Amino acid sequence: MIADFGYGVLVVSFLTALYSVFAAIYGELKKLPNMVESARRAMLLTWPLLTLTAGILIYLLVNDHYEVQFVYEVTSLSMPTYLKVTAWWGGQAGSLLFWSWLMSAFTSLVTFKKWDRDREFLPWVIAVAGITLAFFLGMNVVFENPFRQLYQTFEGINPYTFQPADSILFTPADGRGLNPLLRHPGMVIHPPMLYLGFVSFVIPFAFAMAALITGRTDDRWIRLTRRWTLWAWLFLSAGLVLGGRWAYDVLGWGGYWGWDPVEIAAFMPWLTGTAFLHSVMIQEKRGMLKQWNMILIVLTYDLVIFGTFLTRSGVLSSVHAFAESAIGPLFFVFIGFTLITSIALIIHRWDSLKSETKMTSLLSREALFLLNNLLFIGILVVCFWGVIYPLISELFTGQKVTVGPPFYERATGPLWASLMLLMGIAPLSAWGHSTVKTLGRAIWKPTVGAVIITSVIYATYTQKIIALISFFLIALVILVTIYEYWRGAHARQRSQGENFFAAFWNLTGRNRRRYGGYIIHLSMMLMAIGIVGIEMFQVETQGTIAVGDSINISGYTIKYKEVASWDDNPSGVNYTRAVVEIYGEDGAYLGNLKPRKDFYFDSQQNMTIPGQLASLKDEVYVLLINWEPISPVGTTFKIFVNPLVNWLWMGSFLFIVGIIIAAWPDKDTELAVVRSSKQVRQASAAD
Amino acid sequence: MTELQNDAPVRKGVPLWAQIIIWALLVGLLVIVAMGLNRAQQGTVQPGHVIDNFTLPLFSGYQFEGRSEIHLDDFRGKIVVINFWASWCKPCEQEAAEMQTAWEEYGPTGEVIFIGVDYVDTEPDARVYLKKFGITYPNGPDLATHISQYFRIKGVPETYFVDRDGVLHYVQVGPFSSIDQIRNIIDPILAE
Repeated sequence: MIADFGYGVLVVSFLTALYSVFAAIYGELKKLPNMVESARRAMLLTWPLLTLTAGILIYLLVNDHYEVQFVYEVTSLSMPTYLKVTAWWGGQAGSLLFWSWLMSAFTSLVTFKKWDRDREFLPWVIAVAGITLAFFLGMNVVFENPFRQLYQTFEGINPYTFQPADSILFTPADGRGLNPLLRHPGMVIHPPMLYLGFVSFVIPFAFAMAALITGRTDDRWIRLTRRWTLWAWLFLSAGLVLGGRWAYDVLGWGGYWGWDPVEIAAFMPWLTGTAFLHSVMIQEKRGMLKQWNMILIVLTYDLVIFGTFLTRSGVLSSVHAFAESAIGPLFFVFIGFTLITSIALIIHRWDSLKSETKMTSLLSREALFLLNNLLFIGILVVCFWGVIYPLISELFTGQKVTVGPPFYERATGPLWASLMLLMGIAPLSAWGHSTVKTLGRAIWKPTVGAVIITSVIYATYTQKIIALISFFLIALVILVTIYEYWRGAHARQRSQGENFFAAFWNLTGRNRRRYGGYIIHLSMMLMAIGIVGIEMFQVETQGTIAVGDSINISGYTIKYKEVASWDDNPSGVNYTRAVVEIYGEDGAYLGNLKPRKDFYFDSQQNMTIPGQLASLKDEVYVLLINWEPISPVGTTFKIFVNPLVNWLWMGSFLFIVGIIIAAWPDKDTELAVVRSSKQVRQASAAD
Repeated sequence: MTELQNDAPVRKGVPLWAQIIIWALLVGLLVIVAMGLNRAQQGTVQPGHVIDNFTLPLFSGYQFEGRSEIHLDDFRGKIVVINFWASWCKPCEQEAAEMQTAWEEYGPTGEVIFIGVDYVDTEPDARVYLKKFGITYPNGPDLATHISQYFRIKGVPETYFVDRDGVLHYVQVGPFSSIDQIRNIIDPILAE
């Protein structure tokens, strides 16, 4: 009964979204402002409607309504309540609804704002966002109804949206339970973050389309969506990082990133989004690259849809794939539709997107930004090729060829290195004009510093040439960024008479995007340290030892103390926990670790929980692989020593801080926009 | 687009050849994705299907009873567990120890045979992998991906359980996470 009501509300939300699309377009074409206003209100209504739908689904999940197929598949009696709630996005149907709910929240937020000066965008923004929303809701309504219930008929027990004739409702005693891998806190937050990132990129796309349709192709759409883009990027980045942390903690590979097709699918919009974030600055400052920005936002949006499609249609196999589903073809049609329409629109407006100024110097900041964009696109091409190549090779040669991590690492490595070099040079170059001389004067000090640091690393840590190049570039970028910061603060200190820390603080506050950006650069370098460490210096071993024995690995001694196994019946889990002691090179006791293997009764699956001993230098990561209660041989452990890996997590944290600083709303945003677009004020403001 | 030409006489727009290339690329891409989708919709070979004979050349050192290549038909009357894997595949490592333990458990009964099919890999890497996990059951490369294409595998690891009559009984997509999971599949087939 409740489930039927939920489905009813879902259908009404879908129809409301459809109505708002048609009302917006019709109202705009027939010049009926009331109709457009009606479309806006309909769009605002979708969010409460979907919140109600979601509330009903959560009610069913929390109260163990196993007659609902979705509830049966993702929850079980033994799961704690918070996991029952988050099981909402633990399966295909629910996560589609979750996506729609977020999407409607964002479009509502956008339509809520004052539109006085951008009235002409409104109907088209509603239409584009509404089409996307209606598409996702339509899949829920037609193919993936989360409210389907199990009915027993003569043919057996099957899920139906509507009760078939001669059937009775079937309620299983317990559900199958969420996949234990998805019960990790990282996994509880990772999908929402990723979806938030995906969904919020729809907003800049909708504005870009509105700009193309209305012909108002100045940089107004970019200014309106600048912060959206940053938040979108924040969520997408956080989602990727959390996914990496989850993989590191849960999958027991001793790694965080496996170049899995679905990881790449989420990574590709990040690449174009990052390029977009950089190149919109050139459009704002110099009126250039307008065509390019349009292409980038279209690519980002379609890569978001394409990534979702790849994950959910089963075209690519991966650890992330959802169960097979009928939604593939519909997704395919939607991708085709959006790609064709947006490319046609760009071609149509191509001339009005011409640059206002010409590139004057190859070393100017805009030239370096353009180069940065090309490098990001280069990485995108590598990734895209790697994902699509198995399909192509099968089509043309009859033999399927897939590419693995080595392909991606080798092909993107030099591109990443070039990006890092650019990250070191670009902040020192000036808009419009820079020469070798001006650049050289700015960069020689950081370069000398980086050379010194690299020599120290050569003498004390490693002689591997690729690692040394990487460390040199990392040191260069960090020094340049600190130098830039210092220069700015120092200048301010002198002109404003502030003390150094106040100058430092105000500098960041006055130009958040720039200095937030520098913090992001710094954090990227910390992450790079971790990546170089784990990729180039990771050591692993596997051994079966008895209690009291030990394993030696890169200076550490891992001594096996004891093992115990017990059932936790209320939680439905059997825990097997080993205790190992870690000793350093000099025999000093460093601590003990408790790697675990958890066996979940409901899903009959194991989960391996590593024991981790973390420091800035490295991390000892111990996995309990195999344990036989009566075996005299002992227990099998897999041990990784992951040098520098914690720099990766620290960098990730700083990264999020940097984006929040850059994206934090300015008090005088509207003022700044008014000034720049109408040039009526001369107040001093941000940027 | 004609009405636009009035307000800007010098319009050139995107040259025709560029437009043709863009649209051709787009259509090509969509066709490729459509074909991939079509294949994905077919899914893997389904249980109940009689599996045709295939030949698997074995890595040297992994011969089976002195033979350097094996045929599926040789094992009629036995339960055959066909495991697709690759050395570059991280999830495969997750189940490697379990697979080997299961082989040590069921192999000696003579009623079950495990076959490892190495998918899109190079021999040196594959050997390192086999050695690392101490795998002893017969293993060989899937030359020209014939076997994996026949099974329409979606990726690695995937494991196919064929019963004594050569009928596919169960398909496991993704890694096993425990030896019990493997036992729970093999034991019922054995009991038949």
